[in-house]
Amino acid sequence: MIRALFDGIGRVLSAPVLVAGVYLLTLLLAAPLTLALHDAIASHLGASVAAEQAAAGVHWAWWEEFQAQARGFERTFTPSIIGFGAVLSNLSAFVDGASPAGGLAVAVAFYLAASTFLAGGILDRLARRRRLGAAAFFAACGTYFFRFLRLAVVAGLAYWLLFDLVHEWLLEDLYEAVTRNVTVERTAFVVRLAGYALFGALVLPVNLLLDYAKIRAVVEDRRSMLGALLAAGRFVRRRPFSTGGLYVLNAGLFGLVLVGYAVVDPGVGAPDGTSPWTALLIGQAYVLARVATKLVFYASQTAYFQSELAHAGYVAAAQPAPPAAPAAEVLADAAPDAGKAPAS
Amino acid sequence: MIAPVARTVRRRLRRAVAGAVACAVLGSGVPDAAAAAGQPAAALPAAADRAPSPRNASYSIDVRLDTEARRLHGRQVLTWRNTSIITTAELQLHLYYNAWKNTKSTWMRESRLRARGRGLHGRPASDWGWIDVQAVRLLGADDAAAIDLTGRISHIAPDDGNPDDETVLVVPLPARVFPGDSVELEIEWTSQVPRPFARTGVVGDYYFIAQWFPKVGVLEDSGWNCHQFHAATEFFADYGVYDVRITVPAGWVVGATGAERSVVDNGDGTATHRYHQADVHDFAWTASPDFLERRERFEHPTLPAVDMRLLLQPEHAGQEARHFEATRQALRYYGEWFGAYPYEQITVVDPAWRSRTGGMEYPTLFTAGARWLAPAGVATPEEVIVHEAGHQFWYGVVGSNEFEHAWMDEGLTTFAAARVMEAFFTEHHRSTRLLGRFVPRVLRDVPWSRAIDGNRMAGYRRNARMDAPARPTYRYWPGTAGSISYNKTALWLHTLERYLGWPVLRRGMAAFYERWRFGHPAPDDFFDSISAASNRDLDWFFDQVHGTARVFDYGVQALTSRRDAGRGFFGAGGEASFAEGSGEGGYETTVVVRRYGEGVFPVDVLTEFADGHQEREAWDGAAEWKAYTYRRDARATRAFVDPDRVLLLDGNYTNNSRTLAPRATAAATRWSLRWLVWLQDLLLTYGFFI
Repeated sequence: MIRALFDGIGRVLSAPVLVAGVYLLTLLLAAPLTLALHDAIASHLGASVAAEQAAAGVHWAWWEEFQAQARGFERTFTPSIIGFGAVLSNLSAFVDGASPAGGLAVAVAFYLAASTFLAGGILDRLARRRRLGAAAFFAACGTYFFRFLRLAVVAGLAYWLLFDLVHEWLLEDLYEAVTRNVTVERTAFVVRLAGYALFGALVLPVNLLLDYAKIRAVVEDRRSMLGALLAAGRFVRRRPFSTGGLYVLNAGLFGLVLVGYAVVDPGVGAPDGTSPWTALLIGQAYVLARVATKLVFYASQTAYFQSELAHAGYVAAAQPAPPAAPAAEVLADAAPDAGKAPAS
Repeated sequence: MIAPVARTVRRRLRRAVAGAVACAVLGSGVPDAAAAAGQPAAALPAAADRAPSPRNASYSIDVRLDTEARRLHGRQVLTWRNTSIITTAELQLHLYYNAWKNTKSTWMRESRLRARGRGLHGRPASDWGWIDVQAVRLLGADDAAAIDLTGRISHIAPDDGNPDDETVLVVPLPARVFPGDSVELEIEWTSQVPRPFARTGVVGDYYFIAQWFPKVGVLEDSGWNCHQFHAATEFFADYGVYDVRITVPAGWVVGATGAERSVVDNGDGTATHRYHQADVHDFAWTASPDFLERRERFEHPTLPAVDMRLLLQPEHAGQEARHFEATRQALRYYGEWFGAYPYEQITVVDPAWRSRTGGMEYPTLFTAGARWLAPAGVATPEEVIVHEAGHQFWYGVVGSNEFEHAWMDEGLTTFAAARVMEAFFTEHHRSTRLLGRFVPRVLRDVPWSRAIDGNRMAGYRRNARMDAPARPTYRYWPGTAGSISYNKTALWLHTLERYLGWPVLRRGMAAFYERWRFGHPAPDDFFDSISAASNRDLDWFFDQVHGTARVFDYGVQALTSRRDAGRGFFGAGGEASFAEGSGEGGYETTVVVRRYGEGVFPVDVLTEFADGHQEREAWDGAAEWKAYTYRRDARATRAFVDPDRVLLLDGNYTNNSRTLAPRATAAATRWSLRWLVWLQDLLLTYGFFI
C-alpha cells in the first residue's frame, strides 16, 4: 500500500503537465463566473466610498446590502468564502447533501463532464509512466470517453441512489427518528457523526469499484464497462484491506493538504494592495495541491493494480495515436513507402 | 390604523401629562449626567401600604403533572376585579393550548403561512396538545353556595370568526360585575402537553410549561381584549398574585415564576413545589430530573440585589459563568438605564436540546439557549440571555399588549439588548455552524456590529414594506411579522438615539418605564414619553416609522468637481470679449443628493476637498433632490449624505456616498479572487468521485 502510494506520488510528480491541465480546467470553469461576480460587485459599489473599506477588508454593512440584492450565483458570495472556511463550508455542504447553490450546478456539471472526458487520458498517462505528448493524451481521452460515459451512467445511478435516496434516508429521516427525543446535543452529534461514517462506508466501496473499473478499462483495454466493473469488483473483493487501506492513505494525504492550507490561510489578509494577490497565490497553491492529491488517488491505485496483476507501466492497448489529418494522408500517399501503415 | 392627524391631536393632549411624568421622574433623582455616568435610574418606590400593580387577576392553582400520559390536571381559583369603567356580564379566558388541538385552529392556519410552520401540520397524534375545561363554578361570598357555570361556557373567535378555533372561552356570569367589583371563579381542567409548539411542551423528561392554564383576558374601557392565539403574536394579561402548587415526580427539579416557598414530599413518588409571586401577569414553569441547579446573586451599589437561579442542562456544565455574567450585565445596564428590576429573583432556564423552548420570556423566568460547542468570541448563549432578560423590563414590568403592539416589547428589547451587547461583550464575531449545524465556525474577520447585527438589519431590509407597525400585530403577515416588530423598531430607536442623543432617549425610555410599570401602555404613551423628554415634536417621525411602511433611502446622485474659469463673452457691452476656459483657477464642485425612498428624514450633506476642507450642510430631506455648488481652490474628493449614518432605517447606504477616486474595481478584484478559490474548491469537492 505504502509503496503504491509513493509510486503514485512519483507518477504524479513526473507528470506536472497533467496537474497543470486539471488545475487549468478548474480555473477556466471558474473564471467566467468570477468575472461576472467581479462586475456585479464593482457595479454595486459604483463610485461609493464604501469601496474603500471593502477594498481594505471586510465591510460587513456593504456586504449585507450586496447580498440583499444578489441574484443567482451571486448569492454564494458570503463570508463563508473567506480563506480556509471556504473549504470547510464546501465539505460541510457536500456531506450534508446540499446541492451547489445559486446556479453553480451548471459549472459543476461542466466540470464533471470535462473530468469524465479527461479521465481516460489521465489514467493512460499515469499507467504508462512516461510522457505521451498532447496528441496521444487527447487521443486516449477520446478512446475512453464513450466507455467512461457508459460507466458514468452506472456511476451516476449509484451516486444518485447514495446521495439522494440513501443520504436523505440516513442523515435526515433516520437521523430525525433516532434523535427525535434526544435532549442532549452531544448525543445527537454523535449520532450524526455515526451517520456520516455509515454513509462514507457505503460510498467508499462504490468509489473504489468505479476507480478500479476505470483503471482496468485502461490498463487492460476493456471495452465492456460492465465487464470492467465486475473485474474491479473481483479485484477489490480479493484485496479489501489493501485497496481500502490505500484509499485511506490517500484520504490522509488529502487531509494533510487541508491542514497545510488551514495553517497558511491568510484569512481576509492585511489591508494593503498586495494582500489579495498573496491570498490568491496561496489559494491557487492549495487548488494545485488538491488537484495533485486527486491524481495521486488515481496513480497510486493504478500502481497498486499493476503491481498485483500486471507490471509497472503495462498497458494492454498500443499507445493511442490521433487520426491523421487529410493533409497528412495526402503527404503519406505521396511518399515512397505509401501504402504502409504509419507507425504508431 | 389611527389616522395620523387624529393621533397627533390626541398626542398633544396627552403630552402635557407625559411631560409632567417625565419631570417627576427626573425630579425623583435620575439626572441625565448621572445616568450617562452609569448611575441607576429610579429605584422601586416604597409601597408599604399599596401594591405596585393593580393585582386584579390573581390565581391560586393546584396542578399535577402526569408524566405517563403527559397530562396536566389542574384546579384553580381565579380572583378577578373589574378595573375598567364599564360593567361586564361575562368573563373571557384564553385557552392557549387549544391552538394545537387540530389543524383548523387559527394558530395552525396562520402558521401554515410561515415557512417554518409548514412542518407542524404533519406531526403524529402524540405531539398535539389541548386543554379541556371540565368545570367552572362561581364562588359565592362567605359561605354562599358556588354556582355551576359549566353548562353556559362556550368558545368564541373575536378576531377572525373561525368556528374551529377554541382558544377563547366565554363564561357568562349570573350577575353583572361593576367597576371595582370582584368575582371568584373555580375552574377545573385537564390539558394534554404537546411536543413543543410555540415554546411550550415536552421532549423526553424535559417539560417547559407556559400558557397552560385558563387565563382571563383584559377588560378595557372599550370592552374585552381577549384575542385568539395567533401564530405571530404573544400575550396580554392583567397583573396579579400567583400562588401555584406544582406536583411532579419526586426528585425532579422545578423552576417557575416567582420564589419557591416550599417542597412537600407526598410519599407517593411525587412532590409538590409551591411557588408564589405577586405583581406579575403570567406564570410559567419547568420540570426535569436532569437540571443542574446553580445560584448566584446580582449585587449593585444602587440597584436592589437579585437572586439569580440557573437551571442548566448537564452537557452545558462549564457555561455557568457565561449565563450568570450575561444575566448580571443585563440587570445592571437595564437597571441603570431604565429603572430597577423590581423582583427579588430571576430564573434562567437552559432548555433541552431540540425542545424549541429557548429564547422566551415569562415573568421572573426566561429560557436561554446554549450550545454544546460554544466557542469564545461568539455570543451564544449571551445574546439570547440579554434579550430575554430585557423582556423582564419590556413585557414583564411594562405590560404592553403583545397581540396588538408586539413592537413595544420585542422592538424595545431588541434595541436595548443590542446596546447591552455592545457595552459588555466587545470581542464578538459572527459565526456559522457546519456538519449538520453542530460545529461552530467563528468568522473572526467579521466582527459583530450593533447597528447591523444587533438591530437585525437584514430582516428589515427584506420585509420593510410588508406591514405598517400601527396595524395590530395579530393582523401582520405571519411570515414577516418579526422583521417589523423586532428589527424595524430596533432600527428606528437606534436612529432616534443617534438623532436625539442617548441621554435624551434614555430619559424618555426611563420616564416611560416609570410611568407604565405594571400598566398597559399604548403606542402613543411611548411616543409621548420620548417627545416630552426631547422637548421636540417628533410626530413627523413616529407617524412615518409607526404609521406607515415607508422606506428611507437617501443617496448621492452626482459629484463633479472641475476647473471652471468660464468660457464665453465677458465684459460689458462692446468691451465684452470671448474667452476660452483657461483650465486655471478654482474648482466648481456640484453635489446632487436624492431622496429615493418615500420616507423623509433630515440629513446632513458632507463634501470633502483635497485640501482637507469640509462643507457640511443640513438638508431637511423633504424634496426629491437638492444640489449644492461650491467654488473653491481645491478639488472635491468625496461627498456623503447622512455621513454619520444617523438614519439607520436607510437600508441602502452604499449609495449614500460618492468619491472621485472610486475603488470599486480594487474591492471587486479582492473579493472575486477570494470567491474564485472557493469556487475552484467547490468544483473539486463535488467532482471528487469522478
